[in-house]
Amino acid sequence: MKEKKRRSIFGRLQRTPKWKKEEFTELEYEPTSVKELLTEMKDISELIIDLAYSAVLFDSDDIAEEVKYLDVRMDKLNYDIRMMAMMAARTKEDAEQLAGILQVAEAAESISNAAGDIANLLSLKEKTRPILPKILKQADESLFRVKVSSKSKACNQKIGGLKVESETGMRIIAIRRGDCWIYNPRSGTNLKADDWLIVRGTDDGYIDLNKFLKGQLKVLE
Amino acid sequence: MKEKTAEEIVLEIKDKSELMVDLAYSSILYDNKTIAKEVYDLENAVDSLYQILQKKSLEDVQNGKHSINDALTFLRIAHAGEQIADAAQEIADVELRDVELHPILKMSIREADVVFTKVEVKPQSILCGKTLGELKLASETGMMVIAMRHKDKWLYGPNKNTKIDPDDILFAKGPEDGEKHLIDLAAATSNEI
Repeated sequence: MKEKKRRSIFGRLQRTPKWKKEEFTELEYEPTSVKELLTEMKDISELIIDLAYSAVLFDSDDIAEEVKYLDVRMDKLNYDIRMMAMMAARTKEDAEQLAGILQVAEAAESISNAAGDIANLLSLKEKTRPILPKILKQADESLFRVKVSSKSKACNQKIGGLKVESETGMRIIAIRRGDCWIYNPRSGTNLKADDWLIVRGTDDGYIDLNKFLKGQLKVLE
Repeated sequence: MKEKTAEEIVLEIKDKSELMVDLAYSSILYDNKTIAKEVYDLENAVDSLYQILQKKSLEDVQNGKHSINDALTFLRIAHAGEQIADAAQEIADVELRDVELHPILKMSIREADVVFTKVEVKPQSILCGKTLGELKLASETGMMVIAMRHKDKWLYGPNKNTKIDPDDILFAKGPEDGEKHLIDLAAATSNEI
């Protein structure tokens, strides 16, 4: 058994996980505006919590890997924003205000670390997996998984055009298409038949969205 | 009052910590110290929940209600929630300091994927006198109300039984195109939900 396991690891072409690649890329100073950096950090800090809980809820190692990647990405952003802030400070007043920005950035990074810890629960050896979904399914705003049917009007439509979020309150946080994943899809992202969506929102919203994606509802209202 | 189960406490920590992140960001966006202070209060609540959970899960293991692994999972997930709550407090701390906020802070939060918005409900708005559950505001407009002000009173993390009264101020988060819908509804320029 052990020998078999070893063979499955060694002597085989392996894909380097995205997070590892990111971790070993050299930190280079790239001038980016503090505003852009902070906006990305804020977006990641919100997305990563949802992704971490989804990874646990749907027992998905792929999503857990994306959480790790975002966590590493956040480290880099935090490093960049520190550099940029230091270069921007000229006076004591500047420094005082910039310290606030760095504190928010640091907090966003702590959030991503906590999310990383949640996703790490999946890689534990102990059999803890079954109890997690049981807890998380009872939350106010819950995470769901829905499939886009080929009969649905949503096929080949842009998320922005369908106004999924403003019509149903359901936010699409990830899409699985075949073996690929799209995380945090934009309004210009197309939905395709057989996509699996991971969405977040209320039960009511889920019922509507599910009917629409199954093709039972023609339009989202 | 019935004692909460470990599962319920874990869930409460999860919900509270997420609400805190939303509140913390919106306190900066609206330069609002009241919301920031609420984040502090919630942080204390989460801390004490976490302590109750620690005791509770040990008791559960002793009584054979949960296995050691299950209890560990509860504690680990709650620990992460507690860290998220701490981070939210750090963000609120920036608002509470006597230093004027850097304009970039507001701009970054404003430009992010999810926007925060503040609306005042006009007396002639169709939102008045209805509960959030009746209105299905979250699923119809995509905007989730995270806090509201009723005269001098604040309500954080309202649920579906919360009623909206005239002149209430709602703080909500959601997509950009949902924001306009909510503003129109509150200002009574639109009656279509």
